[in-house]
Amino acid sequence: MPDSTVLIKEIEPVIKDLAEGINNIVGQLKQLQSPLSESQSKVPKATEQLDKISEQTEQATHQMLDQIEKIIEREQEVSEGLKTIKENAVAGDISNVPALADTLVGKADESCNDAFDIMNVLQFQDITSQQINHAASLLEEIETKLHEIIEILPGGLDQPSMEIIESARKSRVYDPHADMTNKKTEQDEVDSLFAQKESQ
Amino acid sequence: MAQTILVVDDSPTVLKFVSFSLKNKGFQVVTACDGMDAIEKISNLTGSLDLIITDLNMPNLDGYGLIDTLRQNEQHQETPIIILSSEDGEDDRDRGMEVGASSYLVKPFKPSLLLTEVTRYLGNG
Repeated sequence: MPDSTVLIKEIEPVIKDLAEGINNIVGQLKQLQSPLSESQSKVPKATEQLDKISEQTEQATHQMLDQIEKIIEREQEVSEGLKTIKENAVAGDISNVPALADTLVGKADESCNDAFDIMNVLQFQDITSQQINHAASLLEEIETKLHEIIEILPGGLDQPSMEIIESARKSRVYDPHADMTNKKTEQDEVDSLFAQKESQ
Repeated sequence: MAQTILVVDDSPTVLKFVSFSLKNKGFQVVTACDGMDAIEKISNLTGSLDLIITDLNMPNLDGYGLIDTLRQNEQHQETPIIILSSEDGEDDRDRGMEVGASSYLVKPFKPSLLLTEVTRYLGNG
């Protein structure tokens, strides 16, 4: 049997190496914790923005389809009205033309207002594009954090790869709070702030 | 002669929509895609500039920077400037007031509300 002192001396450096290895792993795991938790917190935000985009795009599209449906129905009525005017004119009876023409003018005005409403609803494009940019920027931040994790792990990521990824990103300007929901209250608050400023 | 309004926004949809609403009421409209472009368009204008409508979040030069720059120019110290932005935080409004905006409208906006603000400064075009 080997002398225990000799055995301890032989084992000691191995245990030291092992302890150092464990310390390194613990250090690396600690380094991983921060980018992991940061990435984790960004995922729900990106998901929330994407859900908002889907919901608000659908709502706006629905509103536009409703308006377009009304315009089409009205245009069919206008077309029928014009045919009646033509038939009456051909038959030499123009007694009801002024009243019918008034009705048609009213319908044309209504369609014009509906078309304007569609343009109004199209503002969703500006709002959702800001939401998309916000979601994209959150995903890019997650991508950066994931690269930080890869760099910590043995093997890492070579610098040129990271540079290529960074240079492929476009600069994004957006309002993270852009939303299609009714902002009447906010507008009232803004008006009162500016009214206070004017009265000073 | 029609009064001239400069509309500054990096969203082509907003530029088109606001321009249509204003032209429909008889105003002449000039558009710019950011603050720097706005300054260039203003310097190239031959006639007078009666009102400016600007977004806040824009590349190159944002709305605050644009208003600040214009307010330092003697010619545009009194030009009405309406901010049209989806930013609705108190800080944004305060900053808008500080740099010298005349009004602040929150996006999405009703065209009627924008026209009310415009006519408040310019009359009916």
